[in-house]
Amino acid sequence: MKVSEMVKKAGFAVFTKGEDRDIESGYCGDFLSNIISRATDACVWLTVMNNVNVAAVATLIDCACVLLCEGVEPDKPFFDRAASLGIWVLGTNDNVFEASKKVAAVCGV
Amino acid sequence: MECIRLEYDVDGNNFSSAGNASDSVKRTLKQLGVSPASVRRVAIAMYEGEINMVIHAHGGRAEVEIYPDYIDIYLKDSGPGIADIDLAMKAGYSTATENIRSLGFGAGMGLPNMKKYSDEMKIDSTVGVGTTVFLRVKF
Repeated sequence: MKVSEMVKKAGFAVFTKGEDRDIESGYCGDFLSNIISRATDACVWLTVMNNVNVAAVATLIDCACVLLCEGVEPDKPFFDRAASLGIWVLGTNDNVFEASKKVAAVCGV
Repeated sequence: MECIRLEYDVDGNNFSSAGNASDSVKRTLKQLGVSPASVRRVAIAMYEGEINMVIHAHGGRAEVEIYPDYIDIYLKDSGPGIADIDLAMKAGYSTATENIRSLGFGAGMGLPNMKKYSDEMKIDSTVGVGTTVFLRVKF
C-alpha cells in the first residue's frame, strides 16, 4: 500500500511529503543506532523522537515514511530537513503500540 | 589503482548537518551501481562514525576512497581520544551525556555497529590528541 493511501485510511496527520512508495513493513524504535541497523527498507518507522537526526536516519534506512506518535510534532530543523530531503513525516496522537496496530491493520504488514 | 576520492568536513557544532557526509557517499555509491546491501552497510558504518565525531570530538574530517570492489573510509578527529578501546567497543557502553541520549544517541552501539557493518576496522587513538578510525567495506 502506498503511503498516501495509508494516510487517507488511517487518518494520520501529514507534516511533510515525499515519494509515494509502497509500504512493506514497520519498525518501532527511538534509539537511532538500533534503527539504522535493524529497520528494513520501505518500512513505516514509528517513533516518539523529535529532532533533526530523525530525518538523517530516515534517509539512511530508506524508510517509506516516519510516523511520529503520541502527538509529537517535528521541530523546525527536523521539519526543514525532512522537507528538503523529501521524506514523509506523519503524525498521530496514538501511542506507538496503538499506532502500530493501525498500520498493521490498514497496510496488511 | 585509480579510485574516487571524496573528502568532507564534519561540523561538530550542530546536529543539523550530521549525516551529510554518509548521505553523500551513499548517493555516490548508488550512482556507481554498488548493490543496495553494500550501500547500506557503508552508510550505517560511516554514519555511526560521523555521529561519534559530532558527539565526542567537536567534529573532524572524513576521507573516502572508492575502489571497484571496496571502499576505504578514514574518520579523523582531534577530540579527547579513547582511553580504553576494548571497553568502548563493548555493546551498550557509552560515555554520552543525558542530553545526547535525549537526541536518540548514546545506546553504546556506535562502534559495535561500525565493526558489524565493515569488513575491516582499525582505531588509532591517543588521549588528548585525537582518534582516527579506518573502515573498509567490501562490495
